[in-house]
Amino acid sequence: MPSDARPPLGLTLGAIAGLAFLHLPILIIFLYAFTTEERSYQFPPPGLTTEWFGVAWNRADIWPPLYLSLRVAAISSAMALVLGTLCAAAMARAKFFGRDTVSLLVVLPIALPGIITGMSLRSAFAIGEIPFSTFTIVLGHATFCIVIVYNNAVARFRRLGPSMLEASADLGANSFQTFRHVILPNLGSALLAGGMLAFALSFDEVIVTTFTAGQQSTLPIWMLNELVRPRQRPVTNVVAIVVFVATFLPILAAYYLTRGAEETAGGGK
Amino acid sequence: MTPAVEFQSVSRHFGTVKAVDRVDLAIAEGAFFAMLGPSGSGKTTCLRLISGFEMPSAGTVRIFGEDMGAVPPNRRHVNTVFQDYALFPHMSVRDNVGYGLMVRGVDRRARRAKAEEMLALVKLDGFGDRKPAQLSGGQRQRVALARALVNEPRVLLLDEPLGALDLKLREAMQDELKSLQQRLGITFVFVTHDQGEALSMADRVAVFNEGRVAQVGTPAEIYERPATRFVADFVGSSNVLPPEITAAVGGPRAWASLRPEAIRIASEGRLRGIVTGARYLGAGTRIEVSAGALPRTPGYLPQDEGGIAVLVPAGRAVPAVGSEVALDWDEGALHLMEGA
Repeated sequence: MPSDARPPLGLTLGAIAGLAFLHLPILIIFLYAFTTEERSYQFPPPGLTTEWFGVAWNRADIWPPLYLSLRVAAISSAMALVLGTLCAAAMARAKFFGRDTVSLLVVLPIALPGIITGMSLRSAFAIGEIPFSTFTIVLGHATFCIVIVYNNAVARFRRLGPSMLEASADLGANSFQTFRHVILPNLGSALLAGGMLAFALSFDEVIVTTFTAGQQSTLPIWMLNELVRPRQRPVTNVVAIVVFVATFLPILAAYYLTRGAEETAGGGK
Repeated sequence: MTPAVEFQSVSRHFGTVKAVDRVDLAIAEGAFFAMLGPSGSGKTTCLRLISGFEMPSAGTVRIFGEDMGAVPPNRRHVNTVFQDYALFPHMSVRDNVGYGLMVRGVDRRARRAKAEEMLALVKLDGFGDRKPAQLSGGQRQRVALARALVNEPRVLLLDEPLGALDLKLREAMQDELKSLQQRLGITFVFVTHDQGEALSMADRVAVFNEGRVAQVGTPAEIYERPATRFVADFVGSSNVLPPEITAAVGGPRAWASLRPEAIRIASEGRLRGIVTGARYLGAGTRIEVSAGALPRTPGYLPQDEGGIAVLVPAGRAVPAVGSEVALDWDEGALHLMEGA
């Protein structure tokens, strides 16, 4: 039972301190985007300005990494949507020997440290003599994007239960009609959520990307390189705000999408 | 006449488990047929063999004489009311009911008219725009029924159709299902573990035990003349007398069943014992009579056998627990069973 009693003061202070520790640095990043000091991060900022937004807009070297990141995130989430859904459908409906093992193997890439994923992919590309390209970055990102989509879809498939699919067949629907009219509408929000999470993860991924990108720069890698440069530092912070918005909004949307679905599913019980 | 559904030596094995084992069954057209049995007795698997969600390991399932062989569920002229109703949560009640027509390409207008007609049939006029989540359990059950009937199946299958409803609603739905079946003239096959439900609704009952059919007959036959000990015990929890006791009370040396309500407490009787327990049931009191600590004496219940249940109708004096009673019954009440 949640009680009306107030939690002890120590606990409250601890929680506030924890949240502050997590979120204050982000606010400081935002603050530095407006600073007038361009060579070092000086706190407090000597003055505030919005000129860096204009500067960032006009910097030609930002746009190619941004486009590359968007392209990679879009392609790898699209791939993940198709493969992850198919994989979830197979896992949820079929029973076969070693199913649990396969299920674990599907989820494993997300538990694996990115550096190991990156190393293994890099050596695999070397063995296969595959030159680094957008495609190799996409492959690297797809390893964890598929897991995100799979996890979302498999949970929904389980809740869908077998009897609804049987009811559809019983009423005369073929497999395609069942997929179109029963599975897809029920899976829709889970897929949208999974796809957006995958997009957000891919968009700000650094570790695997450094191993698979070759000479290309995605936006996060561009930022990493930019931090060691001595001029126009706040531009990096402006870009950081853009990255923050581009990843935070999909995650927020995914959160609300799946939460809403929980409610309707619960209401059906 | 060709039976609506016919099983010829049908088996369905899952590995070493014989869920259904050499079952022969003929369900006449227009019948209200109950498959009764405890969980795991194979009744639901039999239903799924008819709907096509299970394929027989051996034997033949025929529907109106046609061998179902590998005919998939969506090509069979049977429809199912699922135990959990399995309504589509994202569709309105009307779209749920019209689903069977939609997948067959019936146009929207005709679909809508037919769905409304079906909803009226199950007394849910005006509920078409709601979502399943906005309905009560009983209403969802009716939607499931309307949805299954929309394709005008020749056989309607019902899997524990009333299992999820409370007692009052269950009784009302029993009457309603029965009158609906009589009005439509469709063959209804329903699965239940509730013997009261099977006896009151069906005109024929198959009692399942361990994957086999123990007995098929009218409710009266099943109740009054159980073929096996299992049927006697499961349908209305009859007393099952082993051959020694049957012989001791004046019958032949054979297994026999004796209904608790056929026994009366008398001053002189065929059998004596001690009242060891009493359970008040409202319409009567069910007492347990056994040998207790009495010495082994002819005319008394032997100590090593279980007790005998006696139903004392309401209004009669109920003997106190611990008192000694004599039990008597009419000559015809003792029903002998073959073999097992």
